Amino acid sequence: MELKVEQDNCLGCGVCVVACPVNVSISPEVAGGHGSKTEEVIMMVENGVIKLFSPEKCTKCGTCQMFCPTDAIWLE
Amino acid sequence: MVSNTKEVKALDFDVTRSAEEERKLAFKDELCIGCGICEKVCPVEAIELGDIGAIVRTDADVSKICVDENKCVLCGMCSVGCPVDALEFTIDGESISDMDAYPQYLSSAEIDDETCIYCKACETACPREAITIARELPERAKLVTGEIEIDKDICINCGICEEMCPADAITMDSKIPTSADPTVASDINVDKDKCVYCLICKKSCPVDAIMAACRSCSYGEYDLDPADSEITGSSFIDDDLCVRCGWCEEICPVDAAKVKKPFKGELTVDEDKCTTCGACVDICPCDVLSFPQPEEVGQIVEKVYKDEKYCIYCGACANVCPVEAIEVKRTDVDYTPTKSKSWKNKMESLKT
Repeated sequence: MELKVEQDNCLGCGVCVVACPVNVSISPEVAGGHGSKTEEVIMMVENGVIKLFSPEKCTKCGTCQMFCPTDAIWLE
Repeated sequence: MVSNTKEVKALDFDVTRSAEEERKLAFKDELCIGCGICEKVCPVEAIELGDIGAIVRTDADVSKICVDENKCVLCGMCSVGCPVDALEFTIDGESISDMDAYPQYLSSAEIDDETCIYCKACETACPREAITIARELPERAKLVTGEIEIDKDICINCGICEEMCPADAITMDSKIPTSADPTVASDINVDKDKCVYCLICKKSCPVDAIMAACRSCSYGEYDLDPADSEITGSSFIDDDLCVRCGWCEEICPVDAAKVKKPFKGELTVDEDKCTTCGACVDICPCDVLSFPQPEEVGQIVEKVYKDEKYCIYCGACANVCPVEAIEVKRTDVDYTPTKSKSWKNKMESLKT
């Protein structure tokens, strides 16, 4: 399975960025909703929409998909 | 040359080789718990565990494991290693789980119908919905005794008793009054098989038309046969679905359920690493893990609560944890003896 995003669906809420357990372990400040300080994280909101930075780090736990309100990020 | 064939049926599949004997490996996806033991024990690396976290949590239409039929040597090791019945290996139609030459896990779950009081706690608690309790309840009329009569000459057919009766024992046949018959009901009756002699009708009747008495509470006990209040039934555990987690044994109020687990071990959750994503909670086939609710505002609770009483040490939670916060150790594996050294070594290798 592979992590996919559809920027047209994204509202830029950043819930996936905060919920992603891998993101939190790479850049702990995202858990507080502050946004990542590094591009090492799997995904970040850039210019108001979600963008994948390091999708190869994804462990396919499905947490982002469960929390995304608009089906903008999913595993396929 | 004889080669393996693979037949895929939705999420399930069969890998078959027909030579002098027909060897077949059949996978049932709905029974798979995602423990990955098959992947670990396969001697030829033919099995790949899928992204079970995503598959289970997003209900994806993807098989939980994948077997490469060109690598598979149809040895049956994955089937023996599978702690549930998701992988069945047959030789000429006979399952190796029925053959003494192959080792089997020593595990079981039983409910003793003699002891069972058919409360259904196990049926409700079973995380795999493997238990069905069928019960026959006594007739309500045989548990009460009393007398009731409506004096139809006094009754004004107001219908209050019918509306109040908690047992739906009173029926009034309402009608439109005519000049020839200026009454609002043609009849009113009490079904004595339904009446529990609670006397609510008598107390609520505005014209005291109901004479009723309950004898159950006083000397009337003698009217009742204790055998009439007996609850009978039967229990059934679906062996395919049961994962031997022990919920039934733990929740049973009369110790009627007995579970023997195949593994002993230890489950540890690293609270510092855990990000509470919930993947482990969702994947656990035994409801071992849950998110605790604080009892009061501001109370800090554990990130993930675990109760190892229910754990089968399958390791599915550790497989899905994205941040390696969970460790599952298997310290003991209980299986039937086998003469084959290689099989024994494989079974022992399940200890970690």
